[in-house]
Amino acid sequence: MSGRSVRRVLATLSGALLLLGTVAAAQGQGQDDARPGPGEYAAILGDCVACHTAPGGEPFAGGLKLATPLGDIVATNITPSEAGIGNYTLEQFDAAVRRGVRADGKRLYPAMPYTAYAKVSDEDIAAMYEWFMNEVPPSDYQPPATELPFPFSVRLSLAVWNFMFLDDEPFTPDPSQTEQWNRGAYLTQGLTHCGTCHTPRNLLMAEQQSRFLAGGAVGPWEAPDITSNPRTGIGEWSIEELVEYMKTGNTPRSQAAGPMAEVVDHSLRYATEADLEAIAVYLQTVPASAGVQHERAVHEWGEAGNNLAAIRGERLPGDPRDWTGAQLYDAYCAACHRASGQGTADGVMPALFNNTATGREYTNNLALVILNGIHWVGEGHDMHMPGFAHELTDLQIATLSNHVLEMYGNPDARVTIEQVAALRGGTAQAQGQPNLLRLTRLGIAAGFVLVLAVVWLMLRRKLIRT
Amino acid sequence: MAEELSADFVVVGSGICGALVAMVLAQRGASVIMLEAGPRVERAQLVANFRNSPRRSDWMSPYPFSPWAPHPVYRPEDNEHLVQAGPYPYPAEYIRMVGGSTWHWAALAWRNVPNDMRMHSLYGVGVDWPFDYDELDPYYQWAEELMGVAGDGDEHPESPRSQPYPMEPVAEPWAMRRIRERLAGTYRVASNPVARNSRTFDRRPACCGSNNCQPICPVDAQYHGGIAAAAAEAAGVRLISSAVVYKLEHDSQDRIVAAHYYDPERNSYRVTGGTFVVAANGIETPRLLLMSTSDRFPSGIANRTDMVGRHLMDHPSTSLTFDADEDLWLGRGPQSPSSISALRDGPFREDYSGYRLDFTNISRVDSTTQRLLLEGVYGPEFERRLRHSAAREMSVKTVLEVLPRPENRIALSSRKDALGLPRPQAHYDIDTYTRRGAENALWHFRRIAELMGGSNLRFSDENAFANNQHICGTTSMGEDPNISVCDGWGRTHDHDNLFLVGTGVLPTAGTANSTLTAVAVALRSVDAMLPAEQGSAAEQRGS
Amino acid sequence: MRLSPDKAAAEPSTTAGLSRRVVLAGLVTAYTASLIPWALAESAPDVDRGNFLILSALIAGREGLDNELAIRYYDALLENDEGFPAAVSAILTLVNQHRIDPLKLQAFLDESRPELAAVPRRIATAWFLGVVESVDGARVLAYEEALNAQLVSDVLMPPSYCYGGYGSWAQEPGKGSVDG
Repeated sequence: MSGRSVRRVLATLSGALLLLGTVAAAQGQGQDDARPGPGEYAAILGDCVACHTAPGGEPFAGGLKLATPLGDIVATNITPSEAGIGNYTLEQFDAAVRRGVRADGKRLYPAMPYTAYAKVSDEDIAAMYEWFMNEVPPSDYQPPATELPFPFSVRLSLAVWNFMFLDDEPFTPDPSQTEQWNRGAYLTQGLTHCGTCHTPRNLLMAEQQSRFLAGGAVGPWEAPDITSNPRTGIGEWSIEELVEYMKTGNTPRSQAAGPMAEVVDHSLRYATEADLEAIAVYLQTVPASAGVQHERAVHEWGEAGNNLAAIRGERLPGDPRDWTGAQLYDAYCAACHRASGQGTADGVMPALFNNTATGREYTNNLALVILNGIHWVGEGHDMHMPGFAHELTDLQIATLSNHVLEMYGNPDARVTIEQVAALRGGTAQAQGQPNLLRLTRLGIAAGFVLVLAVVWLMLRRKLIRT
Repeated sequence: MAEELSADFVVVGSGICGALVAMVLAQRGASVIMLEAGPRVERAQLVANFRNSPRRSDWMSPYPFSPWAPHPVYRPEDNEHLVQAGPYPYPAEYIRMVGGSTWHWAALAWRNVPNDMRMHSLYGVGVDWPFDYDELDPYYQWAEELMGVAGDGDEHPESPRSQPYPMEPVAEPWAMRRIRERLAGTYRVASNPVARNSRTFDRRPACCGSNNCQPICPVDAQYHGGIAAAAAEAAGVRLISSAVVYKLEHDSQDRIVAAHYYDPERNSYRVTGGTFVVAANGIETPRLLLMSTSDRFPSGIANRTDMVGRHLMDHPSTSLTFDADEDLWLGRGPQSPSSISALRDGPFREDYSGYRLDFTNISRVDSTTQRLLLEGVYGPEFERRLRHSAAREMSVKTVLEVLPRPENRIALSSRKDALGLPRPQAHYDIDTYTRRGAENALWHFRRIAELMGGSNLRFSDENAFANNQHICGTTSMGEDPNISVCDGWGRTHDHDNLFLVGTGVLPTAGTANSTLTAVAVALRSVDAMLPAEQGSAAEQRGS
Repeated sequence: MRLSPDKAAAEPSTTAGLSRRVVLAGLVTAYTASLIPWALAESAPDVDRGNFLILSALIAGREGLDNELAIRYYDALLENDEGFPAAVSAILTLVNQHRIDPLKLQAFLDESRPELAAVPRRIATAWFLGVVESVDGARVLAYEEALNAQLVSDVLMPPSYCYGGYGSWAQEPGKGSVDG
């Protein structure tokens, strides 16, 4: 536990709270044309809805199941009701968000990224508390309790984990850096919790801070390297591109898909221009990831080209399994991505070459996008790309993906039929990631054995002595 | 393997009307078998077929032709599936495959104007419908929400509505905007209501302007019968494709007891059911009824009064093509975005046909290329003339009304198709009522060309009326069995458990593309086939 | 293998091309050279193909022709009619002798050499529409790459290709290119 006295925080902030409360109440909730108050804004940047609002569910009422390598973790109701956090004091709210401890004393699994939120400032926590308690409509929905398999069901073990891995100091600005950089660092390390997905994790599933943002996974999705590495990361991106990506999810060299599309859709696109710039400035200073030097950057593969000469005027095979990649591309992809993969001139439908979507070593993301498309929520044109899961078989998606990779991307990257089947069926793991569940269990088993061995040795010595 | 095929409802035809009827019946808890003469086809295949077609201006060319379920093909040669008996040619096109002809349409989703349904009492021509526009309004709304129709009710006061369209109008192409702006003050050019997405709708993307509505939308931004058939299957309808129904069998109480179909090898199957719905389009439906002869019904099922196949109507078109005096560049965006509705109705309908004036947005590139090739234009001049026509050429056409006349009809030919079934035969004429309407339109054509600074005016031939494939009237609804085939619910006068849906039941054609009206009428008919339970309004809000 | 992009390639200057044209059996005279805006994409492998390229350039009136397409069109036209190369040669000879303007070529042949009259139209149909007749009926060899699509590609897409994002067709043409 840190030495902070929350009561002292409360006292100093009581005046500010009153002010914030008034401001928040005056702003009102859910007015599209009004700028969000500080509490709502912090909650947006923290992307609380991502987990705490189930699709089609009431806002913040929980119920969303997060599939983790350990099992499903169910998000809780955080509306100001009996079933939620209606009885929470600011101290309890703060403990939950920044230290991962619930009001009843139980610890939260770090699927709730409290390790990142630990960096959030007192002001933002207080503002969020005010907003949640006063502006969010209460809901009586009781989500099911999380039940993970042993030994992960023992939440007390999280105390040990937290002891090892939780740095619960709030963010401290670096005086040698600009205000903008510090703001970007504060947001990235804290509220927007980029490291939760983009930082590789160790065997005990904690983020490896020495490899901050060097690449992680979310389910089968690769959360790529976003350090300043010019080949595998965003080192060659301009500030404008980074801001554009965070605002729209669509830049010529990279598009947000899957979980990142959700992040842009729910959270980042509502950030102020200044905050996005700050994050971009900070990201460009994150130490470049180490590791394999690839022959070219992930956004430098491929070029315009087509196989029209081979397919125009050729009768299509009667059996769809015999369609070539070029034929599949022509029939399913070319209308939007155009015959030579160049996309539309306005960039709304992107080019497939010089695009991180086809230039990476790992190919789960590409296959997932072909299967499921890219969908935002509730903005009208939310289908950015349709999915083809119901139109194409696993074989066809593999053939098509490999065609796209050869023509427009990294020709050494491959998609297999088994991979597509696993992705379609929801059983796929992220590529390049250790099997964390197995390793974690092994690690714990090994630790257990070690403890037993120590105990046995001690007992044996005792016995020998006596 | 002789499987016992039986269901509460047997639907013949899986086009947009048949499929949506089947879907609603299944949603209401009935078991449904839907029989489709043609094969299943994927959208992507049609797109590839189109791009690989050496005759891509022939929009039928991407569609498969099934010898066992033939449909009319006119290019490069007439296959004479639809035999022409004259006096005026009726070269109707339709497609026999799962989903039917609306795979190929431009998605125009017009409502009638209310007077279209009271032609006789108001204007002394045609017939009155057995129900009026107000009764059809909620079904129009339901159809628009199922299909995803984009429009603005304020732009179409001629067709009153109680609730807004489910989607805003599709973005207006530049060319149409210029036409609208230049004709303002003389003509009001409005955005057509269309079954085309102006935003993501029903898990399908918004239009991306590929200008290929006909023959095939590459991204399914446009609703069509294939989507309806998929929804029907998802609702539990059992769809049997490549099943050519050739006979309806009745019992001694005149109840239909079975449908008989051939598979492509001419093996015969018998499907029994409680209620039968024929939705095989305005030519194949009467054809089936006429083929189903028996001792009690020597002229065919539902044909005691010899009305089956009669009152054939379509929408003929005349046109003017000319070069505007500014660059418009047709071919950007959807193919049929805008039109003038002012002349659809009025007292003049006592004397001559009302009509809509449609502005096309179909790309001029291929048609101009073919013209220049015919003219032997080579060298740098080709590029200059191609670009000139592509930029400036525009066209306006009429959508005229044909009155129901008993001598215009679909009958059976003595010639047979590949399965040995008699081919349909068209008796058709364009009479003076319609021709006077076309003449009247000429003045408007000239005025429009004038307002657009038009040159190089090319009128369609005086005696040339293009057909629009809106096959109406051949199994008309009506209260009097002597001049109709079914009642206002689509229930045939002669058989209690036989319903008809599709454009063929519409007793007047009006000046509106018939699909939306046919769908609305079909959805209303389902209430007579199988009333909804109390509080099943959920289904009214779409699939 | 990356094939040519779907735009006609830009051409090098005339001076290098002239020497190649001199090699081509002298069927390019000052007259025809003046009608061909540009030299050919690459040296033709033989005289017949070379003549085809010259006549194609005359008919298409276009700066540069895609070499891959030229090979495919020539092969298809030859397959359909083994007298094709001779006909091409004969037409070029006539063009040079009578200094026939491309716009008048078809009428000239219709009137005085009807046995050759089908040939320019076949070549034009190949280049402009991407379609060549064959023994089993016509074949499409190009759609997106057909010249008629290329000639308007600054403003229009060939149908069945998205114009752009939703609403992109509402903008005034020419304000932002379409051929991405």
